[in-house]
Amino acid sequence: MNRQAAADNPIRRNRGGSDVLRLFVTYLALALVDAFALYLIYVFAADGVIELAVAVGVVTVGVNIINLRQGLYALRWIAPALSLMVLMVVYPIVYTVYVSFTNFGDGNLLTKQQVIRILSQETYLPEGGQVYAWAIYANAAGDYALWLTDRNAGDRYYFATLGEFEAVESVAAGADLPAEYRGYQLLGRREALQAAREAEELGFGTADQPIGIAGRREAGEFAQRLVYQPETDAILDMETGSLYRAVYEYGRDETTGEPYQTGQFVNDQGDTLRTGFRAGIGTQNFISFIDNDEIRGPLIRIFLWTIGFSLASVFTTFALGLFFALIMQNQRIPLRKAFRTLLIIPWAIPGLISVAVWRGMLNENLGVVSNIIRAFGLEPPPFFIDPGWAKLGILLVNLWLGYPYFMLVCSGALAAIPTDMYEAAEVDGAGWWRKFRDLTLPLLLVAVGPLLIASFTFNFNNFTIIEAYDEGGPPMKEAGNLPAGHTDILISYAFRLAFGSGRGSDFGLASAITIVIFAMVACVTLLQYRLTKGWEETSENV
Amino acid sequence: MKLAKLCLILAILLMASAFVVSAQDDGLVVWADEAHAPVVEEIAAQFTADFDIPVVVHEIGFGDIRDQFKTAAPAGEGPDVLMGPHDWLGEMAVNGLLAEIDITDIVDQFLPSAVAAFVYEGVQYGMPTSAENVGFLRNTDLVPDNPATWDDVRDISESLQASGDAQYGFIMFDNNPYHFFPLQTAFGGYVFGLTEAGYDPNDVGIDSEGSIAAAAYLEAYGTDGLMPTGIDYEVMHSMFESGDAAMIITGPWAIPRILESGVNFEVASIPAGPGGAGKPFLGVWGFMISAFSENKLAAETFVLDYVGTPEGIESLYSASPRPAAMIEVREAMEDELTVGFANAGVEGLAMPAIPEMSSVWSAWGNAMELVRTGELDAETAFSNAGEQIRSLLADE
Repeated sequence: MNRQAAADNPIRRNRGGSDVLRLFVTYLALALVDAFALYLIYVFAADGVIELAVAVGVVTVGVNIINLRQGLYALRWIAPALSLMVLMVVYPIVYTVYVSFTNFGDGNLLTKQQVIRILSQETYLPEGGQVYAWAIYANAAGDYALWLTDRNAGDRYYFATLGEFEAVESVAAGADLPAEYRGYQLLGRREALQAAREAEELGFGTADQPIGIAGRREAGEFAQRLVYQPETDAILDMETGSLYRAVYEYGRDETTGEPYQTGQFVNDQGDTLRTGFRAGIGTQNFISFIDNDEIRGPLIRIFLWTIGFSLASVFTTFALGLFFALIMQNQRIPLRKAFRTLLIIPWAIPGLISVAVWRGMLNENLGVVSNIIRAFGLEPPPFFIDPGWAKLGILLVNLWLGYPYFMLVCSGALAAIPTDMYEAAEVDGAGWWRKFRDLTLPLLLVAVGPLLIASFTFNFNNFTIIEAYDEGGPPMKEAGNLPAGHTDILISYAFRLAFGSGRGSDFGLASAITIVIFAMVACVTLLQYRLTKGWEETSENV
Repeated sequence: MKLAKLCLILAILLMASAFVVSAQDDGLVVWADEAHAPVVEEIAAQFTADFDIPVVVHEIGFGDIRDQFKTAAPAGEGPDVLMGPHDWLGEMAVNGLLAEIDITDIVDQFLPSAVAAFVYEGVQYGMPTSAENVGFLRNTDLVPDNPATWDDVRDISESLQASGDAQYGFIMFDNNPYHFFPLQTAFGGYVFGLTEAGYDPNDVGIDSEGSIAAAAYLEAYGTDGLMPTGIDYEVMHSMFESGDAAMIITGPWAIPRILESGVNFEVASIPAGPGGAGKPFLGVWGFMISAFSENKLAAETFVLDYVGTPEGIESLYSASPRPAAMIEVREAMEDELTVGFANAGVEGLAMPAIPEMSSVWSAWGNAMELVRTGELDAETAFSNAGEQIRSLLADE
């Protein structure tokens, strides 16, 4: 926006009373947005999700600049859409790319700080250490003390304050706990829990006899077992003296050739602590996807089926939709509107429900379809067992789900074709097929072409129907080690690979595969745009 | 203009701090599924009355708890206490999300197998509340006496089909190892070798002689026309409820729908085979404490002193009739069907909770399906599955 435009800005142009109000309202709204953003940043940062905090920060700064700089006045109206786009589209893409270079997944779910925090909660009893049952006391000043019972020594009593530890002589072993001792009152059950929570942080006893609360029942000379040492970036096990170093790099052991585990605390014996942390592992996820014969093996077949499934789905839904649209154009059909409404119903019913109904109808033993076939004395096809029939079944279901969309779209597009063209064609002596092939179809494709591509892309990633129909089954026996099925498409295979193998979820590998699939879909889409150029030329010629 | 900007900044800071202050809270948060949440809330009310510590019980769909916990706990938004089945344990423990829980005081009151189910790598991560398992259901109009062995099952199925009293005798899921496991153990098969320290992942038994024998039994049973293919959960139950099938293996969760169908049935122990009694998997439910809990003492007190009492377990049992894991409550159960399931589970084995279990299930289920559909014979399919699982575990 240039200076002239900025000068036209209503706020600049007129400094009347109503504009002060407008300015005030703008600032107030902005202040509210900023305050909320600050709160979000605070929450995200406190939870350790720094990436998201930064993303929110960037968006907020952007929104402020847009609203405070006069020159960017016009951008104001698209700022909400822009911010949402950054947060909901750009950020997830960036994050997916980032995750694909890490080992994020089960076993490496937490950040290093979180792992250290959790591990540092572990305690151990040093050799010769005593364990006591405890009760908590408090004095008038609010200091706490512990009454300790040594169960092994015939319920002998001890008393520990902050800095003192003494054997209790005045109360016989095994007797009831005194309500008051040395100015400290025994706390009731209700207060004790709250007090113990506060006292948990404190160290009772002396340097020689440290006493800590280790649980609901136990107190004693417990000490922290796993201590993180920032200078060596390692965790020392105080009990065994073993040092666990943080390992980040992906690599192989020079002597054994075994791959290192990344994002783990590992000691010299190769033992790891109970949970790992997130770490960058470079392109390892991509390498293991591309380099691994086992993962790649069924990939070719699945890729071909994905293409086949998408093409067949688009073609059948479009053909049937167009067929109905052409029929519905015929004015002579009675109850045209009612039929058209009925034909749209499959589209109005939630897809998951339709798929579930179809599953039931096609079922080999109980399904309606199977029973009808059986009534004719034929053996019903194994729709969920035989790979070929399973593929046919899924195309059938997808046809049912998809044709109303194309029927609607085609009806609209057909109505837009001028009727005088057909009259001209008839004058030239064209039959219905000539008219359809040379007039209707080319003109229709101009409008519907992009939608066909969209439909192809949608079906290329139509995870829902695959998962709802038969979860990719029947299993591909050639896949061996891998959870691949005959009706799996790329996206459902990726889902199974990432979330159904090894230790539950492996977000890093899943992200890497998603990026590879994204690249594949992008290539296919680009190819299709080339194709549509042909249609555009057709439209220019008419 | 300067003044306005100053006001702007002040307003922002003031409001942000208001948000931050309001975000502080103190007390316990408990996550439970829809069936248990109302009862947990009642137990929590008692706890709050005694300790003046507020407890918020969030009702979260059973299918969502595990994933949401994995996301929320590290972010500091998770619960202090959560309820769930023990097969979540491996996945959660390997991520360091659970805190150890000391139940030595009350351990004697629980079924040892249920307690053991909440041990992962030698650490107790939960207190069991119920232990459920599948049992052998038969239509008493068609099969008056419970078959003692799997040979009997076959004989009964053959005579039912021959006489035309029922379309099929015993039928089973195509690809569900959980329902197949009791048959597998009856033939002497196993999934992982059992040692004193729990399951041994190095001893995979999917392709053991007994497992293959069980698969071969199923294969022959199918090829002889005693059972159709294409059976899933829905089909299996519909056929049993309509009297088309006389015997199935299922769990307590299916009881309401079977009762509704009006079919006369009984729950009994799994028939025996050459390997002894059929041992179902025990699915143990219990309470776990988050490693991220800021108030573990209170959480432990709530779980052990309020839930882990005969009254607490009893009220959970009344809300969701799964056989209780506390011996006292279990023995007092009167419902015939629940007792039937409890008897079937006497020799039950805790489901392995290693994180790789999801892959084990899928390899195992695929092997079953390949056998049932006739793609592969029992020996090849189960040998392959055994190899798959072995190489999968070796990858880790």
